[in-house]
Amino acid sequence: MSLTEIPAFARADGPDKVSGLGRYTADLTLTGMAHAAFRYADVPHGRIVELDTSPARAMSGVVAVITDADVPDIYLSAEIADRTLFARDVVRYEGEVVAAVAAVTPEIARAAAAAIVVRYEVLPAVTDIEAALGENSPLVHESWDSYATSGDVVRDRNTAMRSELHRGDADAAMATADVVVSGRYVADASHAVPIEPRAVVAEWQGDHLTVHTSTQVPFDARSRICETLELPTSRVRVIVPHLGGGFGGKCGAHFEPHIAALAKVAKRPVKLVFSRYEEFIAPDRRREGMIVDVATGVKHDGTIVARAAWLGIDNGAYMADATFFPQLAAMHVAGPYRTGSLKIEADLVYTNRQPSGSVRAPTAPQACWAIESHTDEIAVALDMDPIEFRRRNLVATGDVGPMGQVYDEIGALECLELATASAQASADQKPLGPDEALGVSMGWWPTFAVAAGAFAKMHADGTVQLVTGGQECGTGAVMTLRNLAADELGIDPELIELVYQDTAVAPEGPGASGSQTLLNHGRAVEVASQQIAAQLRELAADHLEAAPEDIVLAESKASVAGAPAASVAFTELVERAGAELLGTASVEMPEYPELPTSSTCIGDQGMGAWLAPQFSCHVARVAVDRDTGVVRVSEVHTAHDSGTIINLMGAHGQVEGGVLMGVGQALTEGTRYDDEGRQRNAGLLEYKLQTIADAPSIHTQFVEIATPNAGPRGAKGLAEAPNVATAGAIANALAKVIGQRVRELPMTAERVWRAQTADQSSTTTEQDQS
Amino acid sequence: MNPSSPMSPSSPMSQQINLTVNGMTWPVAVETSRNLCSVLRTEIGLTGTKEGCDDCECGACMVLLDGQPINSCSYLAAQADGREITTVEGLADGDELHPLQRNILSAGGVQCGFCTPGMLMSAYALLDRNPEPSIEEIRIGLSGNLCRCTGYARILTAVHETAVELNGA
Repeated sequence: MSLTEIPAFARADGPDKVSGLGRYTADLTLTGMAHAAFRYADVPHGRIVELDTSPARAMSGVVAVITDADVPDIYLSAEIADRTLFARDVVRYEGEVVAAVAAVTPEIARAAAAAIVVRYEVLPAVTDIEAALGENSPLVHESWDSYATSGDVVRDRNTAMRSELHRGDADAAMATADVVVSGRYVADASHAVPIEPRAVVAEWQGDHLTVHTSTQVPFDARSRICETLELPTSRVRVIVPHLGGGFGGKCGAHFEPHIAALAKVAKRPVKLVFSRYEEFIAPDRRREGMIVDVATGVKHDGTIVARAAWLGIDNGAYMADATFFPQLAAMHVAGPYRTGSLKIEADLVYTNRQPSGSVRAPTAPQACWAIESHTDEIAVALDMDPIEFRRRNLVATGDVGPMGQVYDEIGALECLELATASAQASADQKPLGPDEALGVSMGWWPTFAVAAGAFAKMHADGTVQLVTGGQECGTGAVMTLRNLAADELGIDPELIELVYQDTAVAPEGPGASGSQTLLNHGRAVEVASQQIAAQLRELAADHLEAAPEDIVLAESKASVAGAPAASVAFTELVERAGAELLGTASVEMPEYPELPTSSTCIGDQGMGAWLAPQFSCHVARVAVDRDTGVVRVSEVHTAHDSGTIINLMGAHGQVEGGVLMGVGQALTEGTRYDDEGRQRNAGLLEYKLQTIADAPSIHTQFVEIATPNAGPRGAKGLAEAPNVATAGAIANALAKVIGQRVRELPMTAERVWRAQTADQSSTTTEQDQS
Repeated sequence: MNPSSPMSPSSPMSQQINLTVNGMTWPVAVETSRNLCSVLRTEIGLTGTKEGCDDCECGACMVLLDGQPINSCSYLAAQADGREITTVEGLADGDELHPLQRNILSAGGVQCGFCTPGMLMSAYALLDRNPEPSIEEIRIGLSGNLCRCTGYARILTAVHETAVELNGA
């Protein structure tokens, strides 16, 4: 059975999840377990002048209280070492952890945390991206230049990282334009909001630590624990039970070291379960707020001659993993178009807000919303159909991208044609009403390549264990690894048992981050499976008196090509081998063509993946209630080039979920802050996710093009790509209906209402008079 | 650790109640402030019911109380004294999954699975009171349950398919 013939996607974790018998981290209870609560800063920027934990320690039922004084003196993180596990001297955002308490009940733990006395000298809070860059702005980190860094981090004062993307002479090229269109777009911060709030259970046995945690990247959690608590890797085991969604928000490590340190002091297991409020304010994985100022010069025929842009990206108070965000955002502002000369400058800026970090396609939904809005505005200025304008400028196979990369076989144009045709066909069937319109947006996204490993074992009964460092966060990507192994081995995927989410048994890998499961863990699974297949062929060749290369593996049997009647079962071959068959793979990064180093001053992080990015086109059908500004999205038509689709149901699931998250980002999901930097809507009552009643119908087509630099079987990855283009499509439909551009994201009812009653637009269009 | 253990401070506000969960009656001592979700998960050990927001907004904690769907995170355990509670663990008939459970899986309506128990309970209650819901009625019936993974389309399909299946149509 070939991979593409496998009919249905059987989730190995499905029965656990529908029966309610599967365990998530918060479902675990260990004997003698205590419960953790944190004391947060509450003050967005302040110097600690008094910290007295004695009232908490004195409470009955409290078993441990720890602060910065109780853990090793270590600065985090990898890219800029700008923080400690617990606040030291200065707090820089409201959700910063000052102290942790363990007590016999969660209620006592919370009461004890509240009883800790902390007094601050309040410092001026930095809450505005542009003001933060001013000469006279207070500094979020007074001693920023003393922090250790790794990699090519370009920084200055409140600028945590600056990237520039240059191609040609943008100023000179801009002067040759017939029309220059410029605009400013501002996106609010938003959140990943997995339905499972994060949880951690830490348990020591002697000097060995086991941590059960809701991380998307168990090996990162292990590294952070080892780094901050000064433990050898071999003594720390991170296990992830079922994971209730992540969307990037649970990437990396979060509070595992805090809970491990508490458990050490408490001399008993300790469990942390976040409330929804904590889930909003504390983790270092907020989707960053962003300002995009962009100008594009075009010829009357639609040729783009130059683009110049400045991006201000809100990093928040500490560096999580955002140093590559300016690069990513710059690529999205360059866009999947032939944009001529480029001058894009991007600043990642420290503020006294929650740290930003990788949330599903970091930087892309906001930057894409801005640039696709801008793209429609250019088309309007040229009096050209927006689809035709895109058609003329989209990148194609062989084009040279902003980094100097030469694109592989890519399907950007096919995505545009398929999605727009689908939407138009629907509109032909059911004509658009007077308050309705279709809007188009393109999107693109790389797939990050890193090293990964896998083990495989074929047992005497013919079943297989596949041990992977992959992390199943809901996408089904890890489940799909079974299909790759089954295809290599010629067995039913049901005979393969996945062993995963345990750092003590699995080889290291990137987990559920960066749409990497298939690309990286999948490559490793292929190699490990191929090793077993080779052993089966050798054993069968001996038995069937044929050459190993002539042996065919299918239906758990080996036979000689062309003579299927004489076959030998895998069970018999393993028995003849005298021991189970083993495959062990450790695959490095795939080799990519080198980029011309002079093409850009942006670093090359993940840039190999931009050779064969994933492309998408989303078309939204939108209705506006003109009296209230309420926007309804009734249909989204999508086409995605994510290479080969290995599991069609899983692929549709990714697109549908990504689109609905995009609808939320477009219309309702934005964090509001007070003047001091505190979140004002840190709960699901005021931070609105889309419900089933809001959900549009979603119509998806896949463009499958063989691409040399894709992953296993030509698959590129699909977890983040569907979350890129939706907001741009909705914005463009909305602008058609109301005749005005909403320049803030989310495009809430209030903002829509204000925009349609506004008498001036902040877009400027300069026509060359010559 | 059980709050009534010697290590915890004595609680004068404790109350003895009987909860009938999936047909079995459990006598439990709970503080009057405890919510039903917490007692189901901790004292009774049925962790299929999830807590996602403690705010009646996400629906992950949905259970049936005398057949009516409620957000158990915001319902006092003491108020459920003597009443019939059905949780996701009570949907299957022995090893045989309920058609809703089977169909939500086969339709692709399960990804991370954290919303699934609450979604199933809301769907069960919907089909109980309206065996032949329209698509719009399903959307309204499940609008108290947030899912972040699926975009809802396959959940909608699964509930519709189940209604058809149970009606023998």
